[in-house]
Amino acid sequence: MSKEKDDLEKNFLSIFITSFTTIFIAELGDKTQLATLMLSAESGRPLIVFIGSSIALLCSSIAGVLIGKWLSSMISKERLSFFTGLLMTMISIWIGYTIYTIYY
Amino acid sequence: MIINLLISSFITIFIAELGDKTQLATLTLSGNSTKPWAVFLGSASALILATLLGVLAGGSISTFIPEIYLKLIASITFLIIGSRLIYDSFNIDENKIE
Repeated sequence: MSKEKDDLEKNFLSIFITSFTTIFIAELGDKTQLATLMLSAESGRPLIVFIGSSIALLCSSIAGVLIGKWLSSMISKERLSFFTGLLMTMISIWIGYTIYTIYY
Repeated sequence: MIINLLISSFITIFIAELGDKTQLATLTLSGNSTKPWAVFLGSASALILATLLGVLAGGSISTFIPEIYLKLIASITFLIIGSRLIYDSFNIDENKIE
């Protein structure tokens, strides 16, 4: 029980840093970033594209946070932890597979 | 003209991002933590920084770092988070049985 409590009481900064690093790594070289590049190069107005895509990313991020919160209130903590863990592992395998198909 | 460009970038990026791995990662982080605000601020600032880098660089970050390394790092990060969550889920189970 105390361990579980420790996990729950993780401080704001450590959660912030974990989220920042994970999302930043996931986003580099992602299709969204490539789309932003393309839009920015095509239009020649990088600032407008930057503002538009930033707002879009903020919206999708809010949606992700809200869905996560909603799920955590619907199913038990260990189940959510298990299924999201499985999801992350599957994404990892999928990225590994795309590396394989591109380079071999 | 500016409004059109603003709206078209918004729609393009928003649709591209729905159900994307970034959003699924945000969902996972938020569901498994007690501080959704910290997750939101962390992921929002990471997304804005990544977009800024993309727009400023005028070419993908993959011109500086080969794409295969970026993908490899992302893959390993997701694997670490995934296996840790699965491990945690069994640990919580054991605590409850005790």
